[in-house]
Amino acid sequence: METTTKPNFIQRLFGGGKTTQPDKPVALPDAPRPLPGTLLTLDLPPNDPLVAYFSSQPGVVDVDKLNLDSPALRDLTKQGVKMVIPLVNQGELLGLMNLGNRLSDQEYSSDDRVLLNNLATQTAPAIRVAQLVRQQQLETQARERLEQELRIARLVQQTLLPQELPTLEGWHIAAQYRPARSVGGDFYDFVQYSDGRMGLVIGDVTDKGVPAALVMASTRATLRGVALDYNISDTHTVEHTASPGEVLARANDLIVPDIPPKMFITCFYAILDPRTGVLQYANAGHDVPYVRRGDTFIELRARGMPLGLLPGMPYEVQELQLEPGDGILFYSDGLVEAHNAQREMFGFPRLSQYVASHNGGRELIQSLLEDLEIFTGPDWEQEDDVTLMTLERDAAAAHTHSAANPTGEWKTLDEFETPSQEGNERVVMQRVARVAEGLVPAARLEQLKTAVAEATMNAMEHGNKNNPEIPVQVQVKASPQLLSVRITDEGGSAPIPDNPAPDLDAKLEGMQSPLGWGLFLIKQFVDDMNIITDEKHHTLELIWHLKNTAVEE
Amino acid sequence: MATAQLKLDVRNPGPTVSIIDIHGEVTGAAETPFMTAYEDASTHGARTIIINFTDLEYMNSSGIGLLVTLLIRVNRQKQRMFSFGLSDHYQQIFQLTRLNEAISIYPDEAGALRAAEK
Repeated sequence: METTTKPNFIQRLFGGGKTTQPDKPVALPDAPRPLPGTLLTLDLPPNDPLVAYFSSQPGVVDVDKLNLDSPALRDLTKQGVKMVIPLVNQGELLGLMNLGNRLSDQEYSSDDRVLLNNLATQTAPAIRVAQLVRQQQLETQARERLEQELRIARLVQQTLLPQELPTLEGWHIAAQYRPARSVGGDFYDFVQYSDGRMGLVIGDVTDKGVPAALVMASTRATLRGVALDYNISDTHTVEHTASPGEVLARANDLIVPDIPPKMFITCFYAILDPRTGVLQYANAGHDVPYVRRGDTFIELRARGMPLGLLPGMPYEVQELQLEPGDGILFYSDGLVEAHNAQREMFGFPRLSQYVASHNGGRELIQSLLEDLEIFTGPDWEQEDDVTLMTLERDAAAAHTHSAANPTGEWKTLDEFETPSQEGNERVVMQRVARVAEGLVPAARLEQLKTAVAEATMNAMEHGNKNNPEIPVQVQVKASPQLLSVRITDEGGSAPIPDNPAPDLDAKLEGMQSPLGWGLFLIKQFVDDMNIITDEKHHTLELIWHLKNTAVEE
Repeated sequence: MATAQLKLDVRNPGPTVSIIDIHGEVTGAAETPFMTAYEDASTHGARTIIINFTDLEYMNSSGIGLLVTLLIRVNRQKQRMFSFGLSDHYQQIFQLTRLNEAISIYPDEAGALRAAEK
């Protein structure tokens, strides 16, 4: 109880004009006598014995007759208070009516006391009602502010979600976003690359309302910026597109310094090559999407921490060849974490079975939402945003595709392995160069050789610990547009040691090791680079654009 | 394979200039021969060490690290390091690594020697 916060009511009751300033006490004549109708300043902490006394003692109290060790009581006496009428309502002390000596200096009569008692019993409930009304007003204001915030959050979200879905020949994309009343931070997005590939993003910001909407907006912008403007080399003008893992890693490093504490973002980033059906993807802690294939399903798993937690995080890149008739469902946790009246969750098993047994696309989304409603029941208040996005490959796509473009798929040009022994990087370099000669522009062949040699050295040293018994595997493939060189070691999913970017000045001053140029040179000399790992293997995929020619038979 | 396919010759075309001619590969394995060659090149009080890359067959990132180590020693001795005979590819690597700012690149031996006399 905070009696000191309540003088406003007392002030109104007494119609008191001036309040006594704490630093400017009212000048009193010899005998202390409060000015009529003045508000006393009284510090009455909840632990003062006077509080307990007044709360339990309805009716007029003569200050002189009290024998309590109370600082507040001394204060009252000092200010010339003779009589106190506690204003108590339902056991709660709401305020004090304080009286000094009568102006006539006569004692208070018993009639006076009865009158004051009656006054107090009527005043206390009136004050309580006034307090409740005030409280209600404040709550209404707070509610309106919250509603306003929600409107803003919803607006931010709806403005930033794609207004139109992209169209891809041979593919179908559908999406639906259903906001919860409190608006979470769900988002999805599509990034169109100039080489015809398409980036697909689905993400979820922890937290709700305006903060989540703002973090969602900046995350979406960061991801777009990183995905489309990732030029790691100024030595050549070929557009470089980052792998999904690089997109997430770079976005994470940009987000970490600015994100509010206790917030983070889960996000799944995939790049589809619609011509070949190859889907590369990386995952920052988002719910794993499901691929329907025939009457079963595949999970698109890839390791990675949510965005915004720690800088310098690696994001594993995985790849799946989507076959004609395959369909993917991307979704947010609002779906799987929806509860029914019995507090059961919709859950992953139910969802994966659903994906395996239903055709995809808009119909899947629609029937999934209907089933969700049946599951949760009619009185369900949606706890979190629900976002659903599907990507479907036409069953007939492969046929028309291959008729129009007989070399539309990847073709393996060479495949071999070499023991992890110093010097063998030159063997690999020369062999890959012989295959690549004539495919990549002549000016880039030397760059390819350096990148392949460096990647092989890394694989032998870091992945296979220079153990000659463990070979480095090399695979060279080409699509109509790209040359891919995959160099695989047995380093498993342990990330490549991420040395700081080499800086010559720092090296010359002894602040960095003179070594550490390998990965730097690789990045300078490729058009794209992917890291693909599993339990045992670590693969570095180096990619170059072909010089406008199809692969010869 | 640890014995590098490398031969280094040291010449002293002037009282304060030494040239190290590289024939073969500069890799991590080249460290000992390279440092020996550098000591040879410095015994007569050379102020400028010129590296001749004309017969360089291959240099990898460890070889670049080796050049950085050498450069640290050259700087410590208040010497200068020049180069000539770099192919376009290795000139590009010098630019990317900014080694070209610390090791001046000349098109040929005559050019490097003229600059060394200044």
